[in-house]
Amino acid sequence: MVHIRFEQPDGSSQDIDATVGESLMASAKAQGVEGILAECGGSMVCGTCHVYVKEPWFSQLAAPSAMEADMLDCGLQQQPNSRLSCQIIVAPDMDGMEIAVPQSQR
Amino acid sequence: MAGLAPNIPPHVKPEQVFAFDIYADPRIGDDVQGTYSAVLKEAPDIFWSPLNGGHWMVQRHDLIAEIVKNPQVFSAREMQIPRVENPPFMIPLSLDPPENVPYRHVLMPKFSPRAVADMEPKMRAMAAEIVDEVLANGACDFVADVSARFPVSVFMEVMGLPLDKLREFRHIADTYFNARTNEEIQRISQQIFAIFNELIAYRRETPGDDLITHFLTVDVEGRKLSQDEILAMCFVLFLGGMDTVTNVTGFTFQHLANDPELQARLAQDPSRLVEFAEEGLRMFGVIGTPRLVVQDYEAHGVSFRKGEMVLSALWQSGRDDEKIADPDRFDIDRKDKPHLNFSTGPHMCLGHALARAEMRILADEWLKRIPSFRPKAGAKHGFRIGTVIALESLPIEWEVA
Repeated sequence: MVHIRFEQPDGSSQDIDATVGESLMASAKAQGVEGILAECGGSMVCGTCHVYVKEPWFSQLAAPSAMEADMLDCGLQQQPNSRLSCQIIVAPDMDGMEIAVPQSQR
Repeated sequence: MAGLAPNIPPHVKPEQVFAFDIYADPRIGDDVQGTYSAVLKEAPDIFWSPLNGGHWMVQRHDLIAEIVKNPQVFSAREMQIPRVENPPFMIPLSLDPPENVPYRHVLMPKFSPRAVADMEPKMRAMAAEIVDEVLANGACDFVADVSARFPVSVFMEVMGLPLDKLREFRHIADTYFNARTNEEIQRISQQIFAIFNELIAYRRETPGDDLITHFLTVDVEGRKLSQDEILAMCFVLFLGGMDTVTNVTGFTFQHLANDPELQARLAQDPSRLVEFAEEGLRMFGVIGTPRLVVQDYEAHGVSFRKGEMVLSALWQSGRDDEKIADPDRFDIDRKDKPHLNFSTGPHMCLGHALARAEMRILADEWLKRIPSFRPKAGAKHGFRIGTVIALESLPIEWEVA
């Protein structure tokens, strides 16, 4: 388990215990983080688990695949630090990582 | 289905059997999804219906998610109940992952939230035009005159289909969804393919910024799409774009027509239309998604056997009392509106953002012009059921200013 903090657009935040080896989306959904819809359940076809990853963690993540980059391009609220949380596999060095949830997912 | 004897294979336990005719069950009434939900309260969460060749049916939100997210066992390669020879092949719908993925990504840019937002002004103009045509009459059949026309017009714009062919296309789609026999399905599929062949030939000569031109020019993993691939993609988009939004919008407006308070509230505060559309989607799902069992599989006390069909009744997902309190009450103020009417997993509906936008925009343009309306007293609406649920008509009337 590693601790990850999700910040909501209204400024509130929620810390979750994320499971190492699973996707960040799976832990966020399991612990009811608001604004992570993940409507396709991690199949990388809907883009509704979009998050912003804060530094220094963003730069430490493996680069998105071409497919993930395509999906991110389709969104309305993309920023340079956008990622799909279903494609981030939780690792021990992510302890303390800070994530911002976008205003909306569609 | 007439002519097929009831079928209960020996591995199906007696308590798992619940006879239900997905095409004509007499217990389904005018409140289609409501009566569906009431009838299936007597049935197990996963049950075997001996009718229509015999098939499984799944009716709980989370169980449906499990089925559609397990393509290794539950393949999308066949979607006909009962099974037919040479079932229609649709890209990406008939392909299990990972084969469907490159095609999804070809389509995505044209159906993404961003693409939908770009299209919004054009969609608004189309919706306004359709409502303006009936406005002075003080009455219309909402299905034939409005909800059948708008989504199809939008879709045809996306595809670059000539709008003067609208009624012909609509008729073909209706016939397709009513078809039961292999011969009928093949024949109608051929008509649809002929229309698209004509259009592809035209776009080869006259490129535009439409979807067909995109198919002809896009690079997919270093190659161009073949004519057959383009046809197979057009086929599923054509059928999906014709019938689905029309039906959900029809049922949602059938509810709205009977709720003057909600009409007044939405007319006064259009910002609530997003929630209105979502609650309509939750309450009035119209799609069931069949899968073919491709390997024997045990789950939840059920023995699924290779070659059996499984129907996930998506319209039941929003009425699941384990997911949502008081599921049969229409309430736009619910915080969560859980449903799987766009499915989930690798085949989740590509058009979900477009469909939601269409419902919101049409309701907005309607209420701006016709803030108060009611069902025409005594008129029969009619419906059909199957793997798609449809509302046949919705006669309504309003005061003309």
